Amino acid sequence: MANEVVGSVLVVGGGIAGMQSALDLANAGYYVYLQEKSPAIGGVMSQLDKTFPTNDCAM
Amino acid sequence: MITNAEVLDVEGEEGNFKVSIRKTPRYIDPAACTSCSDCVEVCPVSLPNEYDHGLSERKATYKKYAQAIPGAFAIQKADKAPCRLACPAGLNVQGYVQMVGQGKYKEALKIIMEDLPLPGVLGRICPHGCEDACRRCEVDSPVAIRDLKRLAADRFDPREVEIECQPTRDEKVAIVGSGPAGLSAAYHLARKGIRSTIFEALPAAGGMLRVGIPAHRLPREVLDQEIELITNLGVEIRLNTPIGDELGVDELFDQGYKAVYLAIGAHKGLSLGIPGEKAQGVRQGVDFLREANLTGKAEVRRRVAIIGGGNVAIDVARSAVRLGAEEVTIVYRRSRAEMPAWEEEVQAAEDEGVKINFLAAPQEVLTQDGKVVGLRLVQMKLSEVDSSGRRRPIPIPGSEYDMEIDQLIAAIGQRPDLSSLENVMGIEFSRWGTTEVDPITYATGREGVFAGGDLQTGPWVAIGAVAAGREAAESIVRYMDGRDMTEGREPIVNENPTYRPIPPHQAKADRAKMPELAVEKRQGNFEEVELGFAEAEGQAEAHRCLNCGYCCECYQCVEACKPHAVTLETHAQQTEIIELQTGSIILAPGFEPFDPTPFDSYIYAKHPNVISSMDMERLLSASGPTGGHLIRMSDHAEPKKIAWFQCVGSRDLNRCDNSYCSSVCCMYAIKEAVIAKEHAGDDLDCAIFFMDMRTHGKDFERFYNKAQDSGVRFVRSRVHSVDPIEDSEEVSVRYVREDGQIETETFDMVVLSVGIQIHPEVAALAERLGIEMTEGHFAKSGSFQPVMTSRPGIYVCGAFQGPKDIPQSVVDASAAAAAAGELLAEARDTLTRSKEVVPEVNVINERPRVGVFVCHCGINIAGVVDVQAVADYAATLPYVEYVNTNLYSCSQDTQDSLTEIIREKNLNRVVVAACTPKTHEPLFQETLINAGLNKYLFEMANIRNQDSWVHKNNPEMATAKAKDLVRMATAKVALHQPLGEAELDVNPAALVIGGGIAGMSAARSLARQGYPVHLVEREDNLGGQAHAIYRTATGEMVGENLAKLIQEVESQENITVYRNAELTKVEGFVGNFQSTVSVDETETVIDHGVAVVATGGRALQPEEYAYGEDPRILTSLELDRKFIEDDPSLADVKTAVFIQCVGSREPQRPYCSRVCCTHSIENALELKRRNPDSQVFILYRDIRTYGEREYLYKEAREKGVVFIRFSLDDKPEVSVQNGQISVTVTDHVLGRPVEIGADLLTLASAVVPNASEKLAQFFKVPVNEDGFYVEKHAKLGPSEFATDGVFLCGIAHYPKPIDESIAQGQAAASRALTLLAREKIYTSGHVAEVQPAMCSQCGVCVSVCPYSAPSFRSLEERFWPGKAEVNPVLCKGCGLCVASCRSGAIRLKGFDNDQIFAQIFSLDEAV
Amino acid sequence: MSEFEPKIVSFLCNWCSYGAADLAGVGRMEYPPNIRVIRIPCTGRMSPKFILAAFREGADGVWVSG
Repeated sequence: MANEVVGSVLVVGGGIAGMQSALDLANAGYYVYLQEKSPAIGGVMSQLDKTFPTNDCAM
Repeated sequence: MITNAEVLDVEGEEGNFKVSIRKTPRYIDPAACTSCSDCVEVCPVSLPNEYDHGLSERKATYKKYAQAIPGAFAIQKADKAPCRLACPAGLNVQGYVQMVGQGKYKEALKIIMEDLPLPGVLGRICPHGCEDACRRCEVDSPVAIRDLKRLAADRFDPREVEIECQPTRDEKVAIVGSGPAGLSAAYHLARKGIRSTIFEALPAAGGMLRVGIPAHRLPREVLDQEIELITNLGVEIRLNTPIGDELGVDELFDQGYKAVYLAIGAHKGLSLGIPGEKAQGVRQGVDFLREANLTGKAEVRRRVAIIGGGNVAIDVARSAVRLGAEEVTIVYRRSRAEMPAWEEEVQAAEDEGVKINFLAAPQEVLTQDGKVVGLRLVQMKLSEVDSSGRRRPIPIPGSEYDMEIDQLIAAIGQRPDLSSLENVMGIEFSRWGTTEVDPITYATGREGVFAGGDLQTGPWVAIGAVAAGREAAESIVRYMDGRDMTEGREPIVNENPTYRPIPPHQAKADRAKMPELAVEKRQGNFEEVELGFAEAEGQAEAHRCLNCGYCCECYQCVEACKPHAVTLETHAQQTEIIELQTGSIILAPGFEPFDPTPFDSYIYAKHPNVISSMDMERLLSASGPTGGHLIRMSDHAEPKKIAWFQCVGSRDLNRCDNSYCSSVCCMYAIKEAVIAKEHAGDDLDCAIFFMDMRTHGKDFERFYNKAQDSGVRFVRSRVHSVDPIEDSEEVSVRYVREDGQIETETFDMVVLSVGIQIHPEVAALAERLGIEMTEGHFAKSGSFQPVMTSRPGIYVCGAFQGPKDIPQSVVDASAAAAAAGELLAEARDTLTRSKEVVPEVNVINERPRVGVFVCHCGINIAGVVDVQAVADYAATLPYVEYVNTNLYSCSQDTQDSLTEIIREKNLNRVVVAACTPKTHEPLFQETLINAGLNKYLFEMANIRNQDSWVHKNNPEMATAKAKDLVRMATAKVALHQPLGEAELDVNPAALVIGGGIAGMSAARSLARQGYPVHLVEREDNLGGQAHAIYRTATGEMVGENLAKLIQEVESQENITVYRNAELTKVEGFVGNFQSTVSVDETETVIDHGVAVVATGGRALQPEEYAYGEDPRILTSLELDRKFIEDDPSLADVKTAVFIQCVGSREPQRPYCSRVCCTHSIENALELKRRNPDSQVFILYRDIRTYGEREYLYKEAREKGVVFIRFSLDDKPEVSVQNGQISVTVTDHVLGRPVEIGADLLTLASAVVPNASEKLAQFFKVPVNEDGFYVEKHAKLGPSEFATDGVFLCGIAHYPKPIDESIAQGQAAASRALTLLAREKIYTSGHVAEVQPAMCSQCGVCVSVCPYSAPSFRSLEERFWPGKAEVNPVLCKGCGLCVASCRSGAIRLKGFDNDQIFAQIFSLDEAV
Repeated sequence: MSEFEPKIVSFLCNWCSYGAADLAGVGRMEYPPNIRVIRIPCTGRMSPKFILAAFREGADGVWVSG
């Protein structure tokens, strides 16, 4: 464990998991860097039509 | 947010990492981009749209999807295309090819003429090295780049292209030679504002282009036009003005020229060096061509021999034919393959009757009376490869022979004629007779004198001379300015350029063939032979370009972008490396769908009607390529029959390396089938071919059952192959049923349910970070640290942790956030920022003074709606004090001026007529706050998304609509009141109900982050059901890990544990709960801000399969107990039987208990480990070892565990007779009953929840039909309730194994923490409010509210006892209670009746 | 009949249909301009009185979506 703890977190990937992690951390008082390889976040979930089992719109 | 980025490396340790990230530019300024998509309209580069899985196209400038965040467009670029790199002048080939493809010839010329002033000339005679580099060669043949350049010049007169020049300067430059180098230098100097004079020795300008190349290849008028283009820029050409003794370099300087550029070319032919060369009838090729080209004639005799194999030889030969020679023979000493002349030229020469005598070298010119009469030749043969890379010809001794000729023309090479330069001081020459120059600046040894072109290189290509001229021009300008001539000009060599990958199934397309003048029409004239492409074929040819660099840098977008978000500067952005310091890292890089292309038997790549499930998602999506219209791809007909194949790229070691189960495919296939039926109607036949149906998630089994009821066919089978049917769009599916029977069925479409796999780049990243991976390339984690990687401080969530669905990803994500938070607790709030507060102006009781701001949004609104008319109209509306229009209301400077105007004009209400409040309301509200206005005194009129964009063909009606919308917004805003956002303190304590694995994990996480936790457990010890479990699926011993967890929870100073405790009362709401806990009848009241429900579940006591009749018939947990106690009787077990789904997936309990398949298999393996000779049978309905649990199933089969499937309507029968346990089951493979005598029978009994109605009522949270709590959102809110401040984890949510319970415990803690960390809760202004005087206490509002916001005041209260009130903290402002209130007692602030009516009444002019 | 252009008033839920109408714009889908949208926080907010009022103001059709 480092002596000087930094209050920021890097989240690698802007899909549903990365976004959720980033939101939780930011709302908990940590500075978050959200890194995404494409030009926009959203990941694969944004490409899905509906989600099971409720058939809600994925978007 | 760092988009377009990739993590390169991580150094340091947990708590303090140094991360380097490579960020590829967006090439568009996101702050300025308004997402108007004007750039898309003009972008010529179409690429397959990854978002639609290639089923649609997008441009190189794009936005991933309509709702994408960030909303700005981005341009995709790769390295400079190979064609551009191959071009000596570095022409932007891809750019002009794309422009030609669009028919934008002028734009194409503009791109070409950035570098090259002679498009029509080079479009004809360039040797096009670019085409050799063209990656289209890997598909079929290169794009006809040169011919496309010519097409542009054919279709638009280059003289008409506006050439931007800098202001003209006084200094002048002298250029010697008007060939391509000299012309290019003059052109580029002129563009930089420097005039030049070209001194040309010959009577016509153009150098070798004029005198070296015959008119049949380069018509004179083309050359004349393009020289005119250069002289139009103020360049003077002095013909017949050779440089020599009278006019030397010194004289030029004396005449006032500031610099001299020498480009005299290489016009002197090399002599053959054989006897007889001086004879009459022997001459040099270049001299011959010069004469022919300048005068249109030159003497030819009957039989002409030409020595040489280059283009000059061919030009001489073809000219000689045209001038009337009867017999023209080229003599070349090597073979055809080594000929430096272009193949098409050689071919044309042969077509025209030229003979080529290969492998022959002249030895002597035979003369008679000083005239040529013949040529003695020697036969050659090719030996080893020489320094030129070609095989060296050597004479064959004694093979001499003679040929009769009348004329001999030597064309074996040229060199510069240096006679005029030999005496110039300071200029040095190489041993090849060329000038020595600095390779970058082209400066000679003499100051102010530069040289280039063939003079410097020896005979080379025209485009090289053009490049040299351009470079010299740059040097000359720098020289004249006294600047460093080399700075920034070192060539950058990219060793490993990356290009757009060639699509694996790129269709072949023939290269367009250049139309030619018929051979018989070429005789006796110099008419151009190549006729040029027609437009259509040229454009089709241009479309063959593979767009190697993605963006072609045509810069059309730069011109189209009105807000200047994309400029030449943004286009030039460079990749940057960002260094970050972070305390922790969370890896959520996701997965890639498996690519089924390698599975030949599924013909995925070969048949358009075999698609992947991801393709299917896009086809079903309303935002997809067909707008949600379900069609088969081959003919766009609506399908009647669709098949899904499961486990494509999963559970398969034969055809791919993925032996794990991808966990999600069964469910998504069912979903797609159900949705497909919704789209296409009930008649659509949907069949799912599967091995095991894995619907192990919450409410999944119900979904499966419903799909069966709705007619989706489930075919338990293995698919053998798919075959196309001739003359039909359908495909034939061959499959093997469970009983071994082979069947064939035809379908319109086949959907391959592709699995999840880790992208190789992600695996490489994991390797760089030093993270251990599993067999399936997922990040390795432990059951008790489910989101922790092998490297401390780096956590993992989502599909990289293992194949999983969305809810589980969301759970993991929150869990990883919690884990990172636990690590960094001491540094919390150290790096986050907060904003200054501007004091709010009181506007209550003021007359409304409305400011209306109408936005042009560039041309997005103003192009359709008459913005000024709307603004003028707004000024006439009541209460409107100020009206203004803005080009872009959202730009930062406009925001600042808005703030000013609000203050200056003392406005107290604001309307912005622009885009949509969904994206821009917060921005403008911020502006109001900065101006000191309450942010609720604002309204937007949506005149873009819902007006100009959708009515672009009806500008009048669109303007009328805009006026209406502005009027409605103004009427509403006048009634707005400043709304307060109440502030409430949050009690930092948490109450966790349930001390099992999940509850303890939640409690530990919160406590580690510094919050006091009250942990309430019903039993007298912590640990719950985990005490009864032996091992986890990954083989960790539960007992010791559980003991560690209990020990930490008990010793954590922030945790207070209440054992044998019961919750008896809960009051309050989010942030401020008061709960009463009763322990041994002592009641304690706990104040807490949040609550976590982790009440767990238990094993069902079976009531079937003779349970209880024999001590050897056990439940799963009872067997675990025996393992834990190391019961000696286990060693004697000879035959063990497991029966699955005991109480699960039954009509009375229609859910899957998720854990039992894995657990029974693990236990079966344990029995095998203890007694390898024992026989173990598992009787199952579907094996549901999801994710990497599949390895256990595989191992069990390998170890000889026998799996026998049964169905619900034919369950196994168990009898106990004479101390014998007998199990009878119908084997589906054999089709007949099998009887097994067992000495151990384990019943995998269902997991049932402990959820209690009382607790549900305490926290106003719902319970589903199966007794599990209902979370806020099945996908996005799995660990929390709709009721604010109440969270959920563990089996109380749904049956789950230990790792998932721990993750959800941490997730619940993470979600709770986001609330606790805020310390204060602010209510929204848009909340409901009861006017108690009007309330009739009917209770409708209390019963309808999904958020439990309304309640009755206590009857003891002094004011309004018993009346309803709405807790603004819980209210979400939906207005349900408002609409439901029979007394009209409830108002919704911001959307009050009078406000909505004001909008309706303002409709009057509209409707 | 073909002359008849119905005038439509729509009440769209802020969270779904209103956003969908925005997206129709992003997709440049064209539709007739004789529709006026009133944004409401949720269709739960709808009161029958709004619908009646819209008709009284001259609407030929009222569309509530959410």
